[in-house]
Amino acid sequence: MTKLNVILGIIVLLTLIVLFERPQWKRAQKKEKAAFVILLGMGTALAILLLYKPDLPGPTQMVDYIYRPLGRLLEE
Amino acid sequence: MSGLTKFKKMIICFLICSNCLLLSGCWDRVELNDLALVTGLGIDKKGKNTMLTVQLVVPKQLGGGMAMGGSNTKGGGATIIRTGTGAVMADAIRDLQEKIPRRLFWGHVKAVVFSEKVAKEGIRPYIDFLSRNPQMRLRSNMFICKGSAKNVLELSPPIEQSSAEVMRELSELQFLFRVTVKDALQMLAGSTQTAAIPLVQILPAQKGMSDLQTIAFIQRTAIFKKDRMIGSVNDKMSRGLLWIRNEVEQANITVSLKGAKGTITAAIIKMHTKLIPEYKNGKWKMIVKITSEDDVISNATNLSLYNKKHIHLAQKALADETANRIYAALHKVQKMKADVVGFGEAFHRKYPRQWNQVKDRWEDIFPNVEVTIKAKVNFRRPGMNTIPQGIPPEEVKK
Amino acid sequence: MIEKGKISAMQMALMMYPAIIATAILLVPAITAHHAGQDMWLSPIWASFSGFLAVYITLRLHHYYPQKTAIEYSEQIAGKFFGKIIGFVFLFFYLHADGIVVREYGEFIVGNFLMRTPPIFVMGTMVFICALAVRGGVEVIGRLAEMIVPVVTLVILIFVILLIPDMDATNMLPIMEKGIIPSIKGAVTPQSWFSEFFLMAFFLPYLANGENGKKWGIISVLAVFLTLFIINITVLFVLGGITANFVYPVMSAVRYISIADFLEHLEAFVMAVWVGGTFLKITVFYYVVALGTAQWLNLPDYRMLVFPLGFLLLVFSEWIAPSLMELSHLLATTVPFYLSSIQIVLPLILLLIAKFRNRNRMKDGQK
Repeated sequence: MTKLNVILGIIVLLTLIVLFERPQWKRAQKKEKAAFVILLGMGTALAILLLYKPDLPGPTQMVDYIYRPLGRLLEE
Repeated sequence: MSGLTKFKKMIICFLICSNCLLLSGCWDRVELNDLALVTGLGIDKKGKNTMLTVQLVVPKQLGGGMAMGGSNTKGGGATIIRTGTGAVMADAIRDLQEKIPRRLFWGHVKAVVFSEKVAKEGIRPYIDFLSRNPQMRLRSNMFICKGSAKNVLELSPPIEQSSAEVMRELSELQFLFRVTVKDALQMLAGSTQTAAIPLVQILPAQKGMSDLQTIAFIQRTAIFKKDRMIGSVNDKMSRGLLWIRNEVEQANITVSLKGAKGTITAAIIKMHTKLIPEYKNGKWKMIVKITSEDDVISNATNLSLYNKKHIHLAQKALADETANRIYAALHKVQKMKADVVGFGEAFHRKYPRQWNQVKDRWEDIFPNVEVTIKAKVNFRRPGMNTIPQGIPPEEVKK
Repeated sequence: MIEKGKISAMQMALMMYPAIIATAILLVPAITAHHAGQDMWLSPIWASFSGFLAVYITLRLHHYYPQKTAIEYSEQIAGKFFGKIIGFVFLFFYLHADGIVVREYGEFIVGNFLMRTPPIFVMGTMVFICALAVRGGVEVIGRLAEMIVPVVTLVILIFVILLIPDMDATNMLPIMEKGIIPSIKGAVTPQSWFSEFFLMAFFLPYLANGENGKKWGIISVLAVFLTLFIINITVLFVLGGITANFVYPVMSAVRYISIADFLEHLEAFVMAVWVGGTFLKITVFYYVVALGTAQWLNLPDYRMLVFPLGFLLLVFSEWIAPSLMELSHLLATTVPFYLSSIQIVLPLILLLIAKFRNRNRMKDGQK
């Protein structure tokens, strides 16, 4: 899978999601639409970011950092 | 739901059914006729390289072969073998795959055979590979063989479909050791790091048959320390070890009684062994308590076994004989310093603290463990005969 | 209220059961065995205390705020600003935890069955199905649980029975060789799975028969405890000292089943069961995230958010850990503390504040 393919895949996925939600789009409130767009945007941004920087420290690394002293109790 | 028209319902039904087409997966879609089913796996050493022999099922001859009737005189198993060589096992598999047009499938490996040479150099890298592979089964039986593993897998047995199947069936009978890959892993990782694995040998072919039309049978038991084979014991001793390990499924014991000609043979119906470890003043003692229930299968003496006194005599003799066999086997492994009888585990369970102090030196303590065997035999049934047959009734001692 | 559906207390219990079990029988037994060795069967006993504690805290909080989910009442308890922060922590946590679950599922399927399939497709199709279930609402999830859980339980039970011929009870001896500590260490990871009973906080408000919530919550904890106990003891009896050497001990044990030479190769059933169970687990977490986000943003409906969140979930699952080894290591060391601090310690703090506030309010009322 080249990067271009992944980006294409993401675009297809986004299109499908938008198409799926179209019927409800008119009835939805402004706030809902905003949340929808922002969440989708976050996902896309993160996906593309991860595509180029797969080793980006994530939430798990944060958790690992915070709980390290406790985790050490269980390490052998 | 009532809003749906009949047409719409049909479409939904069709869509649900069409899902089945996707069940086989996309990337991992495998057709049965793209697979080469491996039934036996042999591991040899060729110089510094590993030589892998696989026994493959030839699909055409399995099952459908019966239709050809008697014309199929040539016999020949329904299997073929291929070999591959490489520096390590994975290399050898790659080499092997180059020679086989179908993808190797390891889910049906029945027997894994190591040559004695490999066994003596250490089997660890191989069994790690075997247990790591998600297709391979922990249930596969393990064997060591005299000579090359390739020769064992090459055989085309007259009765069963493949020599791997023969070996598996033989070990399922449990006359001698039956060891699966899981058992081997457990034994080698256990507290004593020793293992006993059946050793197979090729049975000389019957007269008039080709050299390959025979089988490999289990005859001895290979004894492993760490992951290396250090020696082997014969079938009689192996059974002695099985007695202590409480794994005897079938056994016959023949004894001759004092004051009577001929022998009595009894078959074991049920047996139970209990290891009672004792640790006193720095001395390790083990009491092996064996109780078995036997049926008489042959009585060539002139003693009637309907007499209580004779029964006791025979039972005592059988018990002594059992104990003697076990002592003999035990001496042998004690000399080898290989605790394949589970004494270490038994001590570990009862005296965990003391055990942990000596567990690194167990090798040296094991040969000096004082063993007492208390065997007890109970007759259950006399078979079909009441008194010994084939002699005039008046000669039978009642 | 965003969610208009109602479920029964039994359906809630049936939803919680796979939400704990589904992944607790994948990687966890190996982690428990690593610490506890032959005492691994004791660990679920200690671990279940966490479950009872979580249920107790959740029920007390529910008692104070019967119509509200955790996201809503944390605002009332901690004030608007801190409440929003706590709500965000919960949401992020459940999204993250669900990401871990999706990843575990993907790793399991790809590692054992579909070796060549890219994990993203395995996980993607699962998230898609879960998204559909979440859009269906709590009633749909409840009914799905009613359908799937009995099958899952039955199959697990059948596996245990089929393994009886291969069991060796001496594997559990000596009991507590090194004292009680190893078994407690082994309980740390499973107890964090038990802490996931806090998920009930999102379902209690939608119970049609709320008075039974307590009873069924406790039954659910007991059922999970019993299942883990039986699974651990089975695995220990079959695999003994080498349990910790397998990534998926339950899987390895089930693959070992062989009855009369023909009842073999049962791993397809394992897969079916786990796919069913994990589906419910992901769905329950996913639902909580979707519903919670909508409540957090004061939206009238959560359905619009389901697919964007699913996409985010998928990205998260990729982001969790670079390899299965790392994931397994995290689950064995830091993640358990993470899980229990968010799902037990944080709710406990909320409960204490709520108690304090309610006492004040009562005093005010008396004045």
